Amino acid sequence: MTEEARHFETELAVIGSGIAGFAASIFALGKNITTAQVGNTGAVAYTTGYLDLLGKIEGDKGAIENPWEGVATLKSKFSDHPLSDISPGDINEAFTQFTAFLGECGIAYSSPGKSNITALSPAGTLKKTLCVPATMAAGPKAFAAKSPCIIVDFKGLKGFSGRQVVANLQAQWPTLKAERISFPEMVSGEIYPEVMARALEVEQTRVQLAENIKAVAGDAKVIGLPAILGMHSPDFVKAELERLTGLEIFEIPTMPPSVPGIRLREMFEQVFPKKGVTLIPQQKVSSIDFSDEWATLRLKDNYGPITIRAKAVILATGRFLSGGLEAHITGISEPLLDLPVTQPDKRQDWYLDQYTDSRGHAIHKAGIEVDSSFRPLNKDGKPYHERLFGAGIILAHQDWIRSRSGAGIAIATAYKAVEAVDNFLHA
Amino acid sequence: MSDQKTPTINFKEKAMELLPEGASFEACLTCGLCSSGCPASGLENMDPRKFIRMAMLGMDEELSTTPWVWCCTQCKRCQHVCPMNIDISQLVFIARGNWPQEKKPAGIVRSCQLIRSTDSTSAMGLPPEDFVFVVDDVLQEVRETQPGFEKLEAPMDKKGAHFFVNQNSREPMNEPDEMVPLWKIFDMVGADWTYSSKGWAAENFCMFSGDDEAWYEVVEKRVNAVNELGCEVWLNTECGHSYYTMWNAIHKFGMDVNFKLESLVTYYAQWIREGKLPVNSAWNVNNIKFTVQDPCMIVRKAYGDAIADDMRFVVKTLVGEENFIDMQPNRSANYCCGGGGGFLQAGMTDHRRAYGKRKFDQIAATKAAYVLTPCHNCHSQMEDIGHFYGGDYGVVHFWTLICLSLGILGENERTYLGPDLLALIDK
Repeated sequence: MTEEARHFETELAVIGSGIAGFAASIFALGKNITTAQVGNTGAVAYTTGYLDLLGKIEGDKGAIENPWEGVATLKSKFSDHPLSDISPGDINEAFTQFTAFLGECGIAYSSPGKSNITALSPAGTLKKTLCVPATMAAGPKAFAAKSPCIIVDFKGLKGFSGRQVVANLQAQWPTLKAERISFPEMVSGEIYPEVMARALEVEQTRVQLAENIKAVAGDAKVIGLPAILGMHSPDFVKAELERLTGLEIFEIPTMPPSVPGIRLREMFEQVFPKKGVTLIPQQKVSSIDFSDEWATLRLKDNYGPITIRAKAVILATGRFLSGGLEAHITGISEPLLDLPVTQPDKRQDWYLDQYTDSRGHAIHKAGIEVDSSFRPLNKDGKPYHERLFGAGIILAHQDWIRSRSGAGIAIATAYKAVEAVDNFLHA
Repeated sequence: MSDQKTPTINFKEKAMELLPEGASFEACLTCGLCSSGCPASGLENMDPRKFIRMAMLGMDEELSTTPWVWCCTQCKRCQHVCPMNIDISQLVFIARGNWPQEKKPAGIVRSCQLIRSTDSTSAMGLPPEDFVFVVDDVLQEVRETQPGFEKLEAPMDKKGAHFFVNQNSREPMNEPDEMVPLWKIFDMVGADWTYSSKGWAAENFCMFSGDDEAWYEVVEKRVNAVNELGCEVWLNTECGHSYYTMWNAIHKFGMDVNFKLESLVTYYAQWIREGKLPVNSAWNVNNIKFTVQDPCMIVRKAYGDAIADDMRFVVKTLVGEENFIDMQPNRSANYCCGGGGGFLQAGMTDHRRAYGKRKFDQIAATKAAYVLTPCHNCHSQMEDIGHFYGGDYGVVHFWTLICLSLGILGENERTYLGPDLLALIDK
């Protein structure tokens, strides 16, 4: 059958559709760099919605209240950490631009502050984060003020228990209580936050849910819900539910598959094409060739082959989950370009014996090396190619999960990588 | 019901065989994005995640007999949102094919039998001579009764025509006047087109019955019909699955085809851009709101977002940009309405409507007065769930609105217009 290959030309190709990839495209838009972004359905759908900068320093006890001081500590104690070479001013600017963009596109966020926010988890534990969605902002405030509050959960909803949240926070928050209600028109069986969030985009569902909430609110003026306040227009849904109930309402992130991440992904997928980014989601790049003039990316979708010719490439393919790194019996590799991966010498050193060992596991610091311009290095320690840049958690020497720094690394390194791309393209 | 036993399939083995390149079951986190985003989740106590886990656990007998495979419309949304790119719909296809013919939903089986019963390949069993008669009869009536269309053409078996145009059987069989707007559009743009007395019908329920052999036979008949007339383009009219069954079969069965497969939506957009189809939104003086339904079969499962963008261009031109409200989610991430996969023909009305609730919510959230869609199954399902759930929206074909905009919509061609649109015509 006659089939047409599609071909795109662009200044920048971003490979990866996680927070780092989307952040890179946002920063490139800000610099008027024409951009194409490609990446399989990334792990962005798993985010809590909280944007952490730095919550913990390796070896220290307790969490970090001031992430800016924390970054300075990284510089002195862990100088190969990807955040240690980025100035607080740049990190702040990166978070400011990123959250402002999300707000302009319909998901309002708090701006980066001077200290971390103490935020709630679905397990009723506390975590440090830098920016929170507006739909979640009242939670940390209510916790700080210890306001009378009810955590509401739902019949048929797994993975979120009001009783669990209350049990873990009761000692610190004596006026916290839990109630269980039914979600309107969810007849039977397991219900998902995604389904509830979409249903709340409908006025009639909001009205019914507001009645159900009011019935259990008692004297409390603040209500915590699992993250279900709409998918496409969360701030509106929150405002409407608050208007209908006369109560202050906040969301707590849920276990994946969670709404805040799906919100972000669907927003990016809609907004980017409108803003001129060529977005090819759900596809992985199968090969890249570099010439003196161009990088050529090859991939295919349902409809056939696609090539993208770009003057610069940002590799933001993440780690194991999204396929940026692969673990084999013989070691860890980077599958797209076979970049050298910094990793433990032997496979038996990947993990300590105890899963919960407080020192963390060496495999979680595996990744690629980059130079000061965020160019990935080859086996000789030289840039792999002048047109190739790297960003996000594929970079070595950081354990983002333990240090609560996933978004921080993604956003700040994407900012610096785009800055380097801009210098390269327009020097 | 027959007492013939359903053979048991080794689903794990099949799943491994069918795994697309780069996909991995080992990496499945059981995160549930598939189930969370699937309107069939919960029906028959099954969902996509459960289906895959049961396959991995070797629960073959349960999977071989679960009626859920007839509730899954094979819309591939689960694969679309899966970070590991796992295609559950292919397992559903195999499971459907494995059911003894007597146990399969009679409506689907009967439709496939009727398709094979004549050279028309019509699921309503309309033979070639009847199709030729109806087309000629309607054409004569239009020529006699509609001023300006005395020379309207509806060519039949015209050798060497550029476009081979197919037609959903519903029109010649039940509502023949609905063919006329399309003829007028072809007339206006000066298209070189033809119907064929053989292989003219669009629908193909043999694929939905899981019957490879029958599916191939139908497509082969249609391919031969196009080749006999020597047409360059097989032009699929406003029918979603007919495109996919043809396009997918040609790839799947490695068929030798030297014409192009195209969707009418692409040409609507092209003809508007070229000025051949001078539609505009001036008629919509009351700012009636419209939304659009992306048929899974031509958007997510075939062309991708490119055709969805064409569709939006056409709609916005037709109704005015400010009068178009997108459903959320949309384009490749859109939900199946529940009319596809043979669900409308399967006789499982309660299940189909429960599935369609998600679509109803999507439409309700837009508050649009009309849904436009280039798919007959979407059309029927959205009408049905609208009535069932108390919606007050209408569903219209593109060709209706195009001719309305052009002021050439005949009196018998207004079946799907509500009083608000009829009032505008009469002005």
